[in-house]
Amino acid sequence: MNVKRLTVLAVLTAAALAIYVIEAQIPPLAPIPGIKLGLANVITLWALWQLGPRDSALILLARILLGSLFGGSAAALIYSLAGGAACFLCSWAVKKALTEKQIWVMGVIGAIAHNAGQLIAASAVMKSAYVWAYAPVLGASGIATGVFTGLIAGLIYRRMKDAKVLKGI
Amino acid sequence: MKTRSWIAVFAAAFIVFAGLALLLPRIGRGTVANVYRENERIWSVDLSKVEEPFEVTFDDGEGHVNIVEVEPGRIRVREANCPDGVCVKTGWISRGVTPIVCMPAKLVIRIDSGGDTEGFDAVTGGAG
Repeated sequence: MNVKRLTVLAVLTAAALAIYVIEAQIPPLAPIPGIKLGLANVITLWALWQLGPRDSALILLARILLGSLFGGSAAALIYSLAGGAACFLCSWAVKKALTEKQIWVMGVIGAIAHNAGQLIAASAVMKSAYVWAYAPVLGASGIATGVFTGLIAGLIYRRMKDAKVLKGI
Repeated sequence: MKTRSWIAVFAAAFIVFAGLALLLPRIGRGTVANVYRENERIWSVDLSKVEEPFEVTFDDGEGHVNIVEVEPGRIRVREANCPDGVCVKTGWISRGVTPIVCMPAKLVIRIDSGGDTEGFDAVTGGAG
């Protein structure tokens, strides 16, 4: 890890954190916990392709920890970690099956995995299986938002991968 | 895998999810609303036997307060001091599988087919 790479990771963490916090200010579209755009995932996806799994995981973990420090409660941390871990692992797992033009697919897989991870955490914390009643809505919204964020991540990756600013990291 | 295949998979999955999301609330009979704190039933009311609207306040002793309003045939969280307010925004439920959930307070209200209200009848004011 050279200094330039470390700096890039730090900047990305700050960007992901800013996106996450700002998005949290938007009033929920529907009265269902967990429905959101998930724009911060654009950074996770991009990093997975441009920088590799280790650094992408580092950015994600740092962003989650800082995000719960700045805005959430301890409960929020659990759900963020569960969702983030599920999203990252499933995104990473599917990467081999995808081409650079199919990064949007990873967005969908990540979004669905994120929602599933949060449902699992919620049903464990509340010791209730009934939160799974939300699974269909979260699944549908996950596909929609996943396409959106995945397309953005893919676009940015393909445009930027030969950029000067990323040389030497 | 071909992009076309991915699109087909996700389109099909979306239809299934959306279909389930729209259909599920229709199933489920039963008129007894049960309130659970951390999956332990702490209060119940038979919505079909309610004649006058009334309110019940749930305070978990750790700062989470949910004010539940009960009307003939339906129930909702009228007010709560949780950060996201999702339980309030869920609004009224009158039947079906979709519950009202307050994650910070670990409170779940759902209407079950069956369940008894013995021992819980006519509880007003605070409940723990």
